Amino acid sequence: MLDGQGHKSGQIQENSADNIEIWEDFVRIKDLVVALVICSITTLGAYFIAPNEPPKPLFFGLVGALVGFAISSFVIHPKRKLIVNDEKGEK
Amino acid sequence: MDPITLTQMIMAAVLGALIYTIIGIAPGTDETAVLAPVTLVLVLTGVDPVVILTFFIASIVAKKLTDSVPVAVAGIPGGVMAAPMVEHALVLKKHGRSDLGIRKMASGSVIGTLISVPVSLFLANLLTQFSEVIKEYADPLFFIGAVILALMSRNRWIALASIVPLALLIQGLRHLYWGVGVVPEETNVFISFFLGITIGPVILTLFELLIKDKRDTMERHSHKEIAINKNDRVKEMPNPFKILSRQELGMSSVSSLIGSVIFIMSPVGITILLGELFTRHIKDPVKRASLAISSMDGLTNAAYISGTLIPLIALGIPLSPVAIGPANALFNAPPVFTLDHNMHHILSTTDYIWATIIGAIAALAITYFVIVKYSQQICAFVFKKIPHEAMLGLFFGLVLLLAYMDAGWINIGGVLLIGIVAGVLHRWGVNYGVQFMVLYAAPWIITKLIG
Repeated sequence: MLDGQGHKSGQIQENSADNIEIWEDFVRIKDLVVALVICSITTLGAYFIAPNEPPKPLFFGLVGALVGFAISSFVIHPKRKLIVNDEKGEK
Repeated sequence: MDPITLTQMIMAAVLGALIYTIIGIAPGTDETAVLAPVTLVLVLTGVDPVVILTFFIASIVAKKLTDSVPVAVAGIPGGVMAAPMVEHALVLKKHGRSDLGIRKMASGSVIGTLISVPVSLFLANLLTQFSEVIKEYADPLFFIGAVILALMSRNRWIALASIVPLALLIQGLRHLYWGVGVVPEETNVFISFFLGITIGPVILTLFELLIKDKRDTMERHSHKEIAINKNDRVKEMPNPFKILSRQELGMSSVSSLIGSVIFIMSPVGITILLGELFTRHIKDPVKRASLAISSMDGLTNAAYISGTLIPLIALGIPLSPVAIGPANALFNAPPVFTLDHNMHHILSTTDYIWATIIGAIAALAITYFVIVKYSQQICAFVFKKIPHEAMLGLFFGLVLLLAYMDAGWINIGGVLLIGIVAGVLHRWGVNYGVQFMVLYAAPWIITKLIG
């Protein structure tokens, strides 16, 4: 998660092989737990603090889920390594 | 159509197009998983049905346009439906022509949309006269649908064998909830079970992570390496009729037409079949691949639009893999929509036409333009900034919320149980189509079982 693996320059430590595959993409178990906890708390939290007149609780819950998504995106780094090839030379 | 509704429809279309331009690119985003929950929430919040339909049409057109982008740029499918195209897209990428791939696919999508909208409206009108007969047999039809989809899948015997046990699980939980009094009798818990099936594979994996031995033996990876090609930006305004060759234009039109007519079958299966059939005779790999991806993309788009519109307009019951999956909330989202009172009963033909046209045009105008011009930048942004964990967290949060709303805390356990079973079945090769049909057919199956 917040281990700052030099992602700015695009380098990634090669020995950090602790990601598993779920649904066609890689995740780190610790980060996944963090994301699930964050999103669950924000979603249900927002639902319960909403005024009890439908459809407000649902709407609050949805916004809560999106807030959780935004926070998770901010604190977790994607487990992807981008390599940009210059295509021109191959044409 | 009053100006206020019209403005709302245009806003909904733009919003749907923008959201699904981003989501479409993220790898592994299953169409049902990303479209169904959002549409559901919109329906439940009481948004005007015609606005929701506009949003949905814009979303599927945008999603179908963009999920082929990562295929062309990086060779990973942005969605289940894009998977059959990977092979052909990789050929183009190998020859250094992924820019060409994107333009061909996006143009194929445009053709698919243009053809399927009038064809769907026409077919729906034809089918309307039989709708009374079809509706009368809706319950057994879902069961027959489950059996047919099971027989057509690759693992047909396990799919067939799982129908009754899954129906028992679903009805068993419903009877438990009635018995302990968390939901009133005769209220069928539906939405959260539907979502439980959708994210079943993820729930199963999450549970497996709790098993120490399993966790230790799981394959570990470093990072997913994604190579993308840097290419020149397209300067002029892209025109699909110029981008596609005459043969590609013809083939994508024909495949779109076929995709619309056989809306009741699994889109992925037809895509693979027709894609191979249409291109077998071409030798030049680049030409073959461009023809394949343009006609496949046309077909998936057409299958999506007609699979939604035809059952919605003609029947009001979700009798197609698309209608029962991603578009499900338009048919059944209790208490707002039920099979006896949903968009089919509320909207007029004019509403359908306006919603479809506004949704499709907004999505084509925004998404087509954006992805043909900025495909590489968008891919780089999504791959670098959006972690997969956050996507999974978002879906998990939504499932928790809807589970709690359906039947309180006990239902969170119930949805996890359904998720585990559905996840195992999915891994064994029982596809979503079969499982969703069983979800609809469960009450009928049980009454027939006890005679």
